[in-house]
Amino acid sequence: MEFGLFMELSVPRPWTPDSERQVYENALEQVRLADELGFDYIWAVEHHFLEEYSHCSGPDIFLAAAATMTKRIRVGHGVVACVPQYQSPIRVAERAAVLDIISGGRLELGTGRSATWPELSGFGANPDDTKKTWDEFVRVIPKMWMQERFAWNGRMFSMPERAILPKPLQKPHPPMWVAVTSPGTEIDAADRGLGCLGLSPGGFADSEKKVLNYRKHIETCDPVGAFVNDKVLTVNFLSCCEDADLGRRNGLKVASMFSYMAAQLLSAKEVLPTHSYPSEGLLPALRRESGSPGDAAKAFKGVTMGTPDDVYEAIAAWENVGFDGINFIHQFMEVVPQQYVLDSMRLFAEEVMPRFKTRDGTARGGASRRVPATAGAGMS
Amino acid sequence: MPLAGSLDIRPLVPGSPEVVLDDDRVLRLNEVDILQVLYEVRVADRESLVPPALNPTIPPVVSFLIYRAKESEFGPFALAQVRLTARSGVRPRAYLVSARCDNPELSALLARSWGFRVTPGEVSLQRFHDRVDCTVSEPRGTVGNGGGSSPGRSILEVSLVDPVPVTGHDVQYPPGMHLARLERDGVWVPRIVQVDSEYEFRRADRGRPSLNSFDPAAWGDDRLVTDIAVSASFAACDMTIANVRYICNPDIPAAEGTEKVSDK
Repeated sequence: MEFGLFMELSVPRPWTPDSERQVYENALEQVRLADELGFDYIWAVEHHFLEEYSHCSGPDIFLAAAATMTKRIRVGHGVVACVPQYQSPIRVAERAAVLDIISGGRLELGTGRSATWPELSGFGANPDDTKKTWDEFVRVIPKMWMQERFAWNGRMFSMPERAILPKPLQKPHPPMWVAVTSPGTEIDAADRGLGCLGLSPGGFADSEKKVLNYRKHIETCDPVGAFVNDKVLTVNFLSCCEDADLGRRNGLKVASMFSYMAAQLLSAKEVLPTHSYPSEGLLPALRRESGSPGDAAKAFKGVTMGTPDDVYEAIAAWENVGFDGINFIHQFMEVVPQQYVLDSMRLFAEEVMPRFKTRDGTARGGASRRVPATAGAGMS
Repeated sequence: MPLAGSLDIRPLVPGSPEVVLDDDRVLRLNEVDILQVLYEVRVADRESLVPPALNPTIPPVVSFLIYRAKESEFGPFALAQVRLTARSGVRPRAYLVSARCDNPELSALLARSWGFRVTPGEVSLQRFHDRVDCTVSEPRGTVGNGGGSSPGRSILEVSLVDPVPVTGHDVQYPPGMHLARLERDGVWVPRIVQVDSEYEFRRADRGRPSLNSFDPAAWGDDRLVTDIAVSASFAACDMTIANVRYICNPDIPAAEGTEKVSDK
């Protein structure tokens, strides 16, 4: 199993001139520690206008800072909004390549399309089009990285022949992922040979079905890049503490606050009848499962909270479902003290992580599953 | 922290409907046409739009929700509601600002059983090939209600333009949250009544929203200044308004102040 941290960079009110700086500083301290402790990934989301919930509108810049202060942790630029009103795919390819160079070839690119009304309407994007634009983005970005000069005449995006620079350090290109929240997106990911970046924990049975579906479809994929990334990661909340009650209480604080804050955001699906968003995605799934604040009994099954043994058992259950790793939301709205977050990470790394890793620190049960694309597939 | 409602309900309580809970009270309405038009609301103090029990959404959105049926056990009717998107804890809800209805008998039942803050109004819903139009006016022959309106004056004109078919699954109407009064130990106390409805869709369309006029004062809250258009949908369905199962204290967060009043 591989382990990562998801950084939302949420900033609770009341805001002071120092609030955002403090949140960013805390997050960078967590990144430094995660690198020392052997976490595999650090992911920074891309969100816009989501007051308090996430002030992470320039994730590539945050990750550039993170990259310069770390040595081995993979730098997850995701989920990048593949919506042209937010940014051109050229800019995504360029900035990601810069990040790959600065990080010494540690970039992972997560792709997605936004799900909230304030973001989509804020940029004037049409929710009906985001699946189409995402599809075109993920097809052109690897080509932009690999071809000396690139031209494109597409349905959602076109450009004359130009040299898109710089090129990423990783060859043929950095691994790519898809954020999976809506039902069926795991198949979209598999069909394109992209890693499955699960953002909705769901139940064990549903998750197993999704993973099996993904594995089945990726066997016959037509990769958009030069290789297949067939990893499947899920998401969970991390709170690891020798005191079981405290561990669970603090974990539920994070989960409940996340649920409440997410619930306040209008999803595109809620206000716009569209086939483009068949479910409400991550946020309602989490709020359904998390229940009311402080209601531990209603926490969804498999939460990675409590003592190291509790956390181990939960992770083992997700491993059995078929996941290759878990990205953790370990802090939200600064509801738990920074020292607790750091201690929880340390305890997890000392007591839990080794049980899922081999001696050389690689994921138990397998190496990176990045399969070269078959000749002629995808890249032309 | 989550935004919490801060609407001062004290001025609203005296005019709130007195609700008598009845486990057996459900209302089946057949062949109902439903128009829903959504607009963002521009307001400096969005927390003050909904009672403390509820949480506003980001951004706040006003819903113009119109039902029309050519037949019912009370005869033909049309009901227009002005609602605001909200949350009860983490759950999607719509806070009812007020409603207008052209059928007095149905209005009385809606007020008494589900806490609809409803007053008389002339509600017209017309379907054309390429649009659905709704007009709500102050009733003729009576003194207008709210804002010193005059009889026959239009207080809402909304439309859906250029409909295209969607499925019923694509259309969402969150449960209503109605400020009302309930008798508790011989005293009428303010409570929010949660109104759940079920729908069996025959067809659904969506289209471009159009708002030609809206007099928020006539609906009870002159701060509801509309901003950008969000969406418009039309549905033809059978619907059932269920018996009341949950009520909550308007003064405290719903997560703490919700009471289950029926297991049905």
